[in-house]
Amino acid sequence: MTGDPAVEGYLSDVAASMPGPRRARSDIVAELRSGLFDAIEARRSAGLTAQAATEAAITEFGDPRQVARAFRPHLAMIQARRTAFALAVTGPLIGLLWAVAAFASHITLRHAPPWQWPGAPPLSPAAVPAVGAALLIVITSTLATIAATGKLTRWLPASPRTAAVTAATAGFGAAAADLALLALLASQLTRAPGSLDPLPVAAATAASVTRLALARRAARRCLAIRATLT
Amino acid sequence: MRAETLKGHLDGLLLASLETGPRHGYAIMEALRSGSGGQFDLPTGTVYPALRRLERAGLIEGTWSQEGGRQRRVYELTPAGRRTLTAERGTWREFSAAVTALLEPAPRPVTP
Repeated sequence: MTGDPAVEGYLSDVAASMPGPRRARSDIVAELRSGLFDAIEARRSAGLTAQAATEAAITEFGDPRQVARAFRPHLAMIQARRTAFALAVTGPLIGLLWAVAAFASHITLRHAPPWQWPGAPPLSPAAVPAVGAALLIVITSTLATIAATGKLTRWLPASPRTAAVTAATAGFGAAAADLALLALLASQLTRAPGSLDPLPVAAATAASVTRLALARRAARRCLAIRATLT
Repeated sequence: MRAETLKGHLDGLLLASLETGPRHGYAIMEALRSGSGGQFDLPTGTVYPALRRLERAGLIEGTWSQEGGRQRRVYELTPAGRRTLTAERGTWREFSAAVTALLEPAPRPVTP
């Protein structure tokens, strides 16, 4: 029965109207396929021909676009949760890489605001508070997203729209933090390029540039999937 | 019966359908259909997404397994799901008793 063109046609219609992470979508399609086969089997054992059973099962499952639409809130939640987890993992790692780069570049810690530390980049008075503010937003909205999409929803029902927005906020916040860190680096490069230790600085830069692009893309996907929720 | 009528009770019914043991999605739909004497013929677009939602909330757990010569996603109650089912059942008993008391005609008071 596998590869039945009517069943596969129906499933590809469902998949066409389903946004979201690929793995989550293909898991849903696989479950629907298995359900359709169950429905077909039930009708065949009731005496229908193979073709009639398939047609009846597809009719029972209903309009593919409506079925796809019904899964969108779930997919929005999965997209938001994935984004939040990715940020929760990459965030500390990137922070660590920049900290190593700063220490290796002889920025000395003092009992003073970071922009007054000896050797701090000239842009520090503006960029360091910007990084701080962005991090605060990222941490808050990442935690909110994780809470809104997991087991806590048992007691704290959250809408998929809200989860998509908090995840997008976290993603854009992370991108902003990366941008501010890169601006700090650029300002140091113009003033005292010799103070920078090339290897750790290159590693932190590469990580931040990559994360910036990925976080921005993930945030846009969250907003895109939110737009499909009716 | 329309799916909207069931709103608010769907989760409890889905959890109850798994009380006797693990089931896959279509078997759950069948159990609701036959268990209600054909009253609850819930559409695919209601049952399958609701199962995913309950799974995300940690009330049920779905795993792919080989069953009857085919891959099926089988759902099972978690301990939290079992507790929620017990709570839902209690709420429903209180609610239905109150509605019954109000909707059903009261027996006429016997006049001496």
